[in-house]
Amino acid sequence: MTQPISFTFNGSTISCEAGQSVAAALIATDQRTLRTTRFGNEPRSIFCGIGICFDCVVVIDGVANQRACLIEAEDGMKVESAP
Amino acid sequence: MIIVIGAGPAGLAAAEAAARNGTEVALLDSASRIGGQYWRHRTTVTGYRSDRGKKLFAKVLAADSITYISEATVWSAQREGELIRVNYLQGGSESSLIAEKVILATGAYDRALAFPGWDQPGSMTPGAAQSLLKGHGVIAGKRVIVAGTGPFLLPVATGLAEAGAEIVGLFDAHNPLRWALSPRALLENISKFAELLYYAKLLRKYLITPRYGRAVTNFNNGRATISRINSRFEITYQNSHTVDVDVVAVGWGFTPDVSLGGILGCSQRVDSDGAVIFTVDTNQESSQPHIWIAGEATGIGGADLSLIEGEIAGLAASGQKIARSLLQKRARKQRFADALKRSYPVRDGWRSWLAPETIICRCEEVTAQEIRDSVSELGAEDSRTSKLFTRAGMGLCQGRMCSRSVSEIVAGITRCAVSDNERIAASNRPTAAPISLGQLADGKNAL
Repeated sequence: MTQPISFTFNGSTISCEAGQSVAAALIATDQRTLRTTRFGNEPRSIFCGIGICFDCVVVIDGVANQRACLIEAEDGMKVESAP
Repeated sequence: MIIVIGAGPAGLAAAEAAARNGTEVALLDSASRIGGQYWRHRTTVTGYRSDRGKKLFAKVLAADSITYISEATVWSAQREGELIRVNYLQGGSESSLIAEKVILATGAYDRALAFPGWDQPGSMTPGAAQSLLKGHGVIAGKRVIVAGTGPFLLPVATGLAEAGAEIVGLFDAHNPLRWALSPRALLENISKFAELLYYAKLLRKYLITPRYGRAVTNFNNGRATISRINSRFEITYQNSHTVDVDVVAVGWGFTPDVSLGGILGCSQRVDSDGAVIFTVDTNQESSQPHIWIAGEATGIGGADLSLIEGEIAGLAASGQKIARSLLQKRARKQRFADALKRSYPVRDGWRSWLAPETIICRCEEVTAQEIRDSVSELGAEDSRTSKLFTRAGMGLCQGRMCSRSVSEIVAGITRCAVSDNERIAASNRPTAAPISLGQLADGKNAL
């Protein structure tokens, strides 16, 4: 569980422990804004933390609307706020 | 075979009890680790009486007749003759299981109320802060305010403090003296005092002083406004102050997850806290034959009640005898749960915290003003009509975050109480979890 892995978020490298969610890894490295909203362009982050609210959705390896609070970070993953 | 859905306290207790006479059980849960929200953990369960969790995990994982299926998100279920088919997504593909009997233990999630800035990064539910900490070993922020109402704020605040966060404030809208309204529930649940003392000790250790009659009423770029509120939750302005923090973790109790039972046609009612829950009989059986329901989905009551309800459901579904003492124990815990709801009610005054531009529906970015206009200018009389005009509740979360709030905002303008029918309609959805059309079409991830 303590094995370090890394992924990219909007091009920057983020290191975390295996088993941590994408959102947890980003919060741990002070990356609070996970995306901006469609209409108001407002920053959003993790809110419910358990997969209910869909506020933390990001694009993971090209697949949109993935909940960062549920998806475990994987080595080499490409995470983006928008496609 | 019995399919148990949800591996939190209720589901685990149900599976363990059903397996005592060798009944085959399939235990499905969406998370990668057993325990639900209450016993969320990385390697080992921590917190108050965590030994209960460890013992139950060991029993369930050791039972030959229990098959535990993790990372399985149940999105629907239907009857097929005498049997019930449960459809789930696992690793991007769709599968299903079929059985004679089903026990639903789908739990609950934090109830959130809107306030200006609740959509900004740094504002989250206490459950989110708890899941980051217990599930991932990450503190939500260095300087944290924990607020809202109810006893769940205690483990969240003390847990964060233990992990090194500075708890800048712990604010409950209600004074714990409200428990005096429920003397019987207190007297017959003396063991709860031990839990209270456990947290009181931790609060002292981390120098956290809970303050009552206060709420976070604004959050703007790291600056939180704390207001004194009266018993109707209206702000008494003269006493507001601001403080700089990384995180405000604000929660107002819980909303049961009733989607799956709703799809199966199990009858529902509105609980004293306004939550939609299932009606069950003395054996936890729902209005639908061969479907039992246990835990938060039959009324918010916490882990103690969930464990007993789960055990009763598991025994009943597997045809075992249920001891009268177990039923009496449930009645005691039930009265405690009722007292909990009486002690920490959410009052309508929260609506006065909203600014016109405050986002209510986070998914579709619908503001308080747009909802008000849908009533006063477009003639909407309930949340359903308001939703059609504004799209509030039509986004990815399917109204799970805002539907209770939208109903109450609309009712505030029409000066009507929210009807039970409206609450029930707003709590039900065609699927219990999102599924892509590709997955629906061929059982494979077509994204």
